[in-house]
Amino acid sequence: MDMYIRIKRDKTTYFIRCKPSDKILDIKEKLQELIDQPVNDQRLILPGTGEVLEDAKTLADQKIETDAVVALTLRKDDNEFEEVNIVRPNDFYQTRDAEGGNW
Amino acid sequence: MKKEDTVKLISSDGFEFIVDKEAAMVSQTIRNMLTSPGSFAERQHGEVTFPEISTTILEKICQYFYWHLEFASGKDREFPIEPELTLELMMAANYLHT
Repeated sequence: MDMYIRIKRDKTTYFIRCKPSDKILDIKEKLQELIDQPVNDQRLILPGTGEVLEDAKTLADQKIETDAVVALTLRKDDNEFEEVNIVRPNDFYQTRDAEGGNW
Repeated sequence: MKKEDTVKLISSDGFEFIVDKEAAMVSQTIRNMLTSPGSFAERQHGEVTFPEISTTILEKICQYFYWHLEFASGKDREFPIEPELTLELMMAANYLHT
């Protein structure tokens, strides 16, 4: 196995095995099998920068490495894409944030 | 990647992780649930709920499954563990025979 990425939307994370030479479109096709949403209704976004990933680019082009997190958004009924929405668990991260606030 | 080849692992607060069965079966406990003949509901639905494993820990465990597969295929990458997770992670790993 070469690498994997974590694709997140809402409270769900998909672990997808892939290769650095895979195109974004290849990733969307893998997702299509899992979520029954056609490739055209998927948009993949880098959560850090908000950059929308283009179908023709490869993971290597986008500097996406193993264990990276990518946000998935889907097309809504009004034909627009939804905003990035990744729910964070509030077990460990919350306590860490709270500590940070006190310093 | 077929849906049948994946399994959904659900944490105590309802977060879902969809992983390859091959990865999940790094855990002997999950392997038993998915492969033993008979009536494990987990096997029919491809879903396993862990009411006692928190989301952060379950995600770390899934990352470990994939790290394990990478390692087995010859990639030597360090597996990062945040110190505050250590105790709970060990307890979960013990339960999962991982």
